[in-house]
Amino acid sequence: MFRRKTRTLLTIFGITIGIFAFTVMGSMAEKISLLVSGGTKYYADKVTVSGSDSLFISTPLDINKADEIARVQGIRAVSSTIFTTLKKTMDTVSFGPPPGIAASDYKGRQYDTFPISYQGRELQAADQGKVTVGSDLIDKLGAKIGGKVKIRDRDFEVVGIINKTLTAPDNEVFMTLPDAQKIYFEDLPQIVQAQTKPSELVNGFTVYPNPGVDPNQLAEKINKEVSGVKASGPKAFQDQIASATGIFNAILFGVALISLIVGGLSVINTMTMSISERTREIGIKKAIGAKTRHIMSEYLTEAALIGLFGGLLGWGLGAAVVLAINSATEKSGNVIFLLSARISIFAICFAVILGVIAGFYPAYHAVKINIVKAIREQ
Amino acid sequence: MASADTILKLDNVMKIYILGGRKNAKKAQKAIQKLQKQYEKLSSKGQNAPAAEAAKTLKQAQLLFTQEKYEDSYRAVTGNGLKVRRRDRGAVVHALNGVSLDIKAGDLMAVMGPSGSGKSTLLNMLGQLDQPTAGQIFLKNQNVALIKRRHLPEIRSKELGFVFQAFNLVPTLTALENVMLPLKYSGIRLSRRRQMAKEALKQVGLADRLNHRSNELSGGQQQRVAIARSVVNSPSIVFGDELTGELDTKMTADVMSLVKKLNRQGQTFVIVTHNPEVAKVCRRIIYMKDGRIEKELKK
Repeated sequence: MFRRKTRTLLTIFGITIGIFAFTVMGSMAEKISLLVSGGTKYYADKVTVSGSDSLFISTPLDINKADEIARVQGIRAVSSTIFTTLKKTMDTVSFGPPPGIAASDYKGRQYDTFPISYQGRELQAADQGKVTVGSDLIDKLGAKIGGKVKIRDRDFEVVGIINKTLTAPDNEVFMTLPDAQKIYFEDLPQIVQAQTKPSELVNGFTVYPNPGVDPNQLAEKINKEVSGVKASGPKAFQDQIASATGIFNAILFGVALISLIVGGLSVINTMTMSISERTREIGIKKAIGAKTRHIMSEYLTEAALIGLFGGLLGWGLGAAVVLAINSATEKSGNVIFLLSARISIFAICFAVILGVIAGFYPAYHAVKINIVKAIREQ
Repeated sequence: MASADTILKLDNVMKIYILGGRKNAKKAQKAIQKLQKQYEKLSSKGQNAPAAEAAKTLKQAQLLFTQEKYEDSYRAVTGNGLKVRRRDRGAVVHALNGVSLDIKAGDLMAVMGPSGSGKSTLLNMLGQLDQPTAGQIFLKNQNVALIKRRHLPEIRSKELGFVFQAFNLVPTLTALENVMLPLKYSGIRLSRRRQMAKEALKQVGLADRLNHRSNELSGGQQQRVAIARSVVNSPSIVFGDELTGELDTKMTADVMSLVKKLNRQGQTFVIVTHNPEVAKVCRRIIYMKDGRIEKELKK
């Protein structure tokens, strides 16, 4: 295998590049898919009401709309919510939803099935001046239980740290509705501020349906019966996210395909060259009794080892880059990659299988070599 | 009782025995016993004509069986009417043109002749490296044509040894590893094959060169490693194709004295050579010309 060191190493590097790209892109896709699956779980049992067509960015709404929505049949509880960005202006490019402030009046919280656990305690409706902090924002805010954090130039006491959910809450600070209303009010243009008061402001509602009521149908009903709002059920979330994740999956597939073609061709090339250089040796081995399986296994093992070394190197480099970027972005609360065990195992297995498949044709060619001609070869 | 049917069956059994080798000997013996009984029965009933026919066949079968059994003990390889036709730039070339020969166990035979006379082709056929266009090859009385192709590598690793002109050692392997190769292909476990290979290298006088690669050995030493590799499995026969072709006079003498030593220990050798000095060492010399055996000398 290392008779032609440079050639073998170049082939290994060919696979390394492919697997590196696969590991990095795969880790990114893994993070997205976790965000998506977390979102799917979060929106599974509720209807989200906002002032615009977007599920995530909303225009201001009057808090009294909650009463109007509550009159629609099939509703168990309506919770008034505010979601806004942690910083007034975005200073970095964000991957996924930006770090945010989430607030609610906690009505109907007992009906929420999305599991969240805390170090410290959960926030209560009366906890003004207090917050709970998502795990990805701990470093960014310097949060510790009982300590103070500064959010939009205000000090808040941290009463709880949210344990990692691997989805949106990891990147959010939870505060009471009155606190969030003050912050949100300051974000609005003066002309809007002049027409309202902070206590009347929200930018969304979370609607909990009665048992047995389909949230998608309930969303349609709200849209029909309540004017000036846009209600969305779990299906709307899936529809909006599916197209985005589809693009990412296509990119991942493209990277895997390129690595397959480039790596595979270079293994075929190396093994074919190697076998043509060793024709005589193969002839000798066959003359002294090597069976098909001996020759096949010798060359397939060599191809698999090239794949394995390339895979390990590519995965190692990919993991190093992923960890380095994650560690650099962790402080800004913007974790981009998730290097899962399944991506790691798949990347290395993929490299080995790629090597074996690519090595199959040259190995088969070696088996078919005519002994007499091979021995005569110079 | 139709004795002719019985005789016909016996005839078939004998054919099977002759073609199939030792494994059918019991069948042939049983058939002879059965024919003996048939003969006695026919005689006692006074059926003279069928009894005489049975007696004749019985005698032939017994003779054949005895001969085959006897020849089993000394026949290493037999070639019967071997023909090889090839197309070379549109013309048909008769590389072998009906060659028949018996190589007996313990033989030390040289095959000589001008270039293109068919020496190497004959060696390749007998050594199962290639297939003849016509004719039969018997390896220890077993017709090779009846052996499935997938079993040929096993025959090559266990029954046949090869030494080539250009030594043909695997350059990345040490002398010891090269000698272990045929044992590996025979399925012998690692510790045993290491031991056997060491013994073989000791036998050819290279006990102190076990871990040397081919580029660290002289031509003569490389050829001795190749000889050790060819005899390590105690094959029925070792074929050498110009095995001294790349050696100087002294190394040629060294290698041939080694071949002679191994032959005295019972190893059969067939050596294709241009070198009369090499042929001198051999007890049988076959001269080939135009794909035929022109003459044979025995010492």
